[in-house]
Formats: sequence, C-alpha cells, structure tokens
Amino acid sequence: MKRLKIILAIMLGKLLIRLSRLLGNQGSNFPGAWGLRIYPGLLREMASRIRREIVVVTGTNGKTTTSNMIAAVLREQGYSVIHNRAGANMLPGIATAFIEQNNVLGLKEFDYALLETDEATIPALLREVKPRMMLITNFFRDQLDRYGELDRIITVINESLKDQIIKLILNGDDPLSLCFTSSGAQSIAYFGFEPTRYDVLDNRESREGRFCVCCGSELDYSRYHYAQLGEYSCQNCGNRNPEIEFKGQDLELTDKIILRVKDLRLESPYQGFYNAYNILAAAAVAKSLGMSDEAIRNAIHDYRPRAGRMEEFSIDSKRVVLILVKNPIGLNQSLSAVKDDINPKSVFFALNDNAADGRDISWIWDADLENLALEEHNIRKVVCSGIRSGDIAVRFKYTGFDTSLIMIESDLEAGICDALNCPVSVIYVLSTYTALFDCRKILLKLQKRSGQHPLIQPVRGQVVD
Amino acid sequence: MAQFSIAHLYPDLMNLYGDRGNLICLQKRLQWRGHQCSIENLGLSDDMELGRYDMVFMGGGSDREQGLVYEDLLRKGSRIMEQIEAGLPMLCICGAYQLLGQSYIAADGQVMDGLRFFNFRTVAGSPRLIGNILIEANIDGQKVSVVGFENHGGRTIFLDHKLQPLGHVIKGFGNNGKDGGEGLIYKNLIGTYLHGPFLPKNPAVADFILSAMAKRRGVELDTLLDDSIEKYAHDQVKDRLLGSSR
Ligand SMILES: [Zn+2]
Repeated sequence: MKRLKIILAIMLGKLLIRLSRLLGNQGSNFPGAWGLRIYPGLLREMASRIRREIVVVTGTNGKTTTSNMIAAVLREQGYSVIHNRAGANMLPGIATAFIEQNNVLGLKEFDYALLETDEATIPALLREVKPRMMLITNFFRDQLDRYGELDRIITVINESLKDQIIKLILNGDDPLSLCFTSSGAQSIAYFGFEPTRYDVLDNRESREGRFCVCCGSELDYSRYHYAQLGEYSCQNCGNRNPEIEFKGQDLELTDKIILRVKDLRLESPYQGFYNAYNILAAAAVAKSLGMSDEAIRNAIHDYRPRAGRMEEFSIDSKRVVLILVKNPIGLNQSLSAVKDDINPKSVFFALNDNAADGRDISWIWDADLENLALEEHNIRKVVCSGIRSGDIAVRFKYTGFDTSLIMIESDLEAGICDALNCPVSVIYVLSTYTALFDCRKILLKLQKRSGQHPLIQPVRGQVVD
Repeated sequence: MAQFSIAHLYPDLMNLYGDRGNLICLQKRLQWRGHQCSIENLGLSDDMELGRYDMVFMGGGSDREQGLVYEDLLRKGSRIMEQIEAGLPMLCICGAYQLLGQSYIAADGQVMDGLRFFNFRTVAGSPRLIGNILIEANIDGQKVSVVGFENHGGRTIFLDHKLQPLGHVIKGFGNNGKDGGEGLIYKNLIGTYLHGPFLPKNPAVADFILSAMAKRRGVELDTLLDDSIEKYAHDQVKDRLLGSSR
C-alpha cells in the first residue's frame, strides 16, 4: 500500500511537472506539494536512497551560486547529484527535485543530495531528512528585518539542530555565526578571508551597528571585507572571530576572481567580493566532503556566470528577449544566442554610462561584433538607445551594417516600439544595467497592453538569488 | 584601388580600452572608399621594419606590460624616429604616447627610460584622471572638436615649449590637468590620452591620418563619406560635457 502511494505520488508529480512546462511555467513547487499531499513521507522515503551524504545550503545571500558550484564539484568528481532549482527552496520545491530526477518507482539511487533551503524551512526539512552537513553562507539583516525575524530564525535553526549529528560549515567573518555553538554531536568548521587589499578599514563609515551575539554590546571592527563580514571584536566580553579552518588567501578581484585556500589556487570567471565568498564557501564544503583539489579547481574554473538575466515576453505575438549586457565577454555570449536564432529579428541596444554601468563605454569595441551584419543572421533592424545611443550606433555601423538598418532613438520606450514595429518575429532587447529595469517595465506594460497573458520565464538558467 | 597596410605594435601587450576600434575605423573608412587595408600584428619576437607600412598604431597597456614593451622598443626603436621625420603616420595612445618622451617616473620614484623622440616627461600621479573629455584640436590648420574618454595616472609635461599639443582642453584633464594641453601632434604622428575609442567618434582625425597615408602613396582620397552617425555620437558626448543633453 505504501509503495503504491509512493508510485502514485511520483507519477502525479511527474505529470504535473510536464504539464506546467507545457503551460510555460517552471513548475517547481506545486508538483512536489501534490506529491507530499498524496504521500506525506515522500521526501523522507526518497532521501533514504541517497548513498553518501545529504548537504544543506542555507543563509541570506549566495545560496544559489554556492550550491551550484558545489554540485559542479561533485559532478566533476563523478558523483550523481540531486539538486533543487534555484528559488524552489522550500519543502515542495525540494520534493519536486526528488520527483523530477527519480524514476517512477522512486527507487533510483543518488550519491549526493544538495538541498538549497530557505532559512525558515530548515526545521521542517530536518524533520524529514537527515543531512550530515550544512553550509550557512551568511546572515544578513536587510531592511525587511525590522521585527527581529532573523533572530527568530536563528533561534529555531539552533533548536532544530540540537539532536542532529551534523557538521556545520559557517562564515567566520560573520558575527552572527557565533550564534551557533557546537554542542554534543555537532562539529563546526569556519571559512573566512585573511586581510585583503580590498578591505575597508574605516570604522566610521555609515554602516548599521553590529552587535555582539553574546552580550549585546556594539562590535568594534578593525576591517570590513564586505558588508558586515570582517574582523570584529567585542570590547565588553572579548568575543571575536573564531579560528578559521578554510582561510581565503591572496585574493585578487579583477575581471575574474583568484584566491587560495589551503594551498589550493582557485580561479573563477565570476566577479565581486560576494562571489569570492561563494567560491570560498563552496571550496570549504567540497574539501570537507573529501573532494579532490583537482575536481574543485576544475569545477570552479569552468563554472560560468550566465550571460545575464534572460527574460522572455510576448508582445503582439512576437517573442521579445531581454538580456543584460555589461562587458565584452557577456556581450559576445548574448550575441551568439542572437546569431543562433534563425528567425528574422530586430536588435534593440540601450547603452548607458552611469556609474553602475561603468563610465567608460569603450568595451563595446572589445566585443566581437564583426560578423553580426552578415545576411545569414537575419537582423533586419538595429535600434540604438540609452544615454550613449550614438556610440553603440557607431559601433554597429563599423561592424558592417548598412546605415539604412541603423536607427537612433535615445528614448527607451520609443526605441523598443521601433524595434517591435518591423517585420520580424523576434526582438532582442539588450541593455546595460541602469537601463535594464526601465526596459523591463516597458516590456511588461506593452505585454499587458497587447492582451496576452503575462508569460514571463527565464530562457535558460534562473534568476539569481 | 590601393592596398594599404597598418602595423599594430604589441597587440597582445598593449591593448586596453577598445583600442582595436581605432584600427577597425581606419580599415573600414578605406574600404568604403574602395581601397583595401590589411593589419599586421608585430610583437616582441618581430623586428620593427616600420618603413614597410603605411601607418603604425600602438595602444595602452598596464604598467607591467608597458615595462616589457619599453625594453623591447628601446632595443629596436632607434630608426622609428627617422620614419616619423619622413612623415610616417603614427597613432600612439596612453602608454604608447608616454613612451615617446624622455622618461616615465613611477610612483615609487623609479625612472623608466623612454624612446627620447620628444622632449617631454611623464610623472605618475594620483588620483587617476578619468572621464569624458572634449578638446579643440588643431589639425592641418583646422580647428576641430575632438571627444573621447581618458583614464591615466601619468602627468605628461612638455619640456620643450616648441612641442605642439594635439589640442587644448575644453572639458577634462588632458596631458597633466594643469596647462590645458592634450596630446602631441608632430608631422603625421599623434600621441594622445584619448581612447573611447578615439577615431570612430572623431572621423576628422581618422581622415587626417588616412589622407596622410594616401598622400605618401600618391593616391587621392576624395570620396566624402556620410558621417551623420559618427557626428551624432560625437555631439552626444560634447553636448553632455557642455551641459546640454540630447
Ligand atoms: Zn560581547
């Protein structure tokens, strides 16, 4: 009877996943929710077929990137992995991942399960599955945390960890990590950065005060790495950063990230200090799981950031794809998607040069646009927009586009309409950062006006957490 | 139809900020006039027989890379000045421009020898001089407005007051942020801190270089090109710098 219910739950789940895909949804939550309704022990049952370990990744920021990187390392090492989709990080979403990747009988075995989990879902998850390792990336208070929600979550996570045999991998640069103390069956390993040349030493900078988790006094920071992550101490009770096992050393942030952890040199095409933390955290987990240096190095090296958000809209039965572009590599990647699409199309490009875009727009000349104008790529019109509409128009002219195909319209909405109003079936809307949200708003409005159902979904990859 | 060739010096080492845009620009503007233009990359292992080329281009690089190039050119570069005197068109941007002078004095006081073609020196300074720039250039006796983007720590100071800057700064910093000069023009050589890239948005300067190339070959470049898009981009930056938006 139990087996029958499991099979029924999985079958229904699989059917719902397919159905929702057909309807253009990601289908990441409700199939699992229905599966759990038919057989509440579904997750427990399927999790028991994980041969090696179940690893949970939680925290405020970086869950998706970090767990993707860990999954890449495990696969590089040759293991099979169940891994839930970004954002689908509550019980139904996790159940969906198990249903989707399993066979109908629910008997398929996997080496690892990597469960990206919403912080508040941890207690419920720990009632169903028994992970041996849990990574907490960090705990950031945001403006939404006015009611002490974060403290409440930390308390319930602590509570639910009490009787577990589990290894915690924690961020030693985050003062809130000290809320977790190893009691009984738990062990803790910390990751964190040694001083880097990107640190901010000025304590007076207008940052929200951080308070000691032991006595509540305001903490003294001798350096900040990123946000509240850094070297801190409490004048009142002597509380300070714990002993770091996985030290990030020799950090270099350029157009890529280079760092060393325990004599393992890692290089990643990602950018930014927050991603350096994601890499360090992923390496700490992978090393704790016994993965080889080589697998970690290769997986981190090959793990590519996505070309940008790719979002789809449907306006007057035309397909519209919105893509963020910010550097030559990303632009090359995005344009190869444009070239691969054989349909007649127009391209809209909004180039801004505000601080967040980068004031220097010369990077558009480093991107390889030279054969974009070839007839086989079927680009019928190029609309140039944004603060630097002229520069992108000149760039397109020198790739070989006939000037009759190039149009300059600095106003975003008028420009998008120009790109829509030509005999094409697809419109690619490329935009630098500070024009992206305006473009998106305009596209949503036009989509609504054209009377179609809102049909927004990522083309590939998922939205960043 | 004529076949031109351009030497691109150290493209692997000295290629920052969209420098290749300048070469694409020259090549396309010759093609649109019915001529051909090839671009040859010359690196550390090549000899520098620059007399064979119609034009020489060199861009900017980071400090470490610039050091390698300094050493290499010091060994090979003695005859380049003869070519410049004979009217070889040359465009040197940022680091390549600094290299033409007596020396470059780094922030730690270390002195790097330049090619000593011209009597100026460059001293590292802080902060970096960064931003859009507008200058009024003097090209072939004509006053032309030129726009670009500059990003340099070095301050270039003319020691010989007969040296002619490419133009004078209307908005931005230029050679040193003080004396109002930007770049250097000597016969058919232009040195400048402007990238952006420089030539596509300033077709008058591109055509100055191209006509110098053509004249040396006895070729006429009389076809006028439609530069309305280039002019739009040029004016967009100019208006922005002067405070009126478009
Ligand atoms: Zn304290």
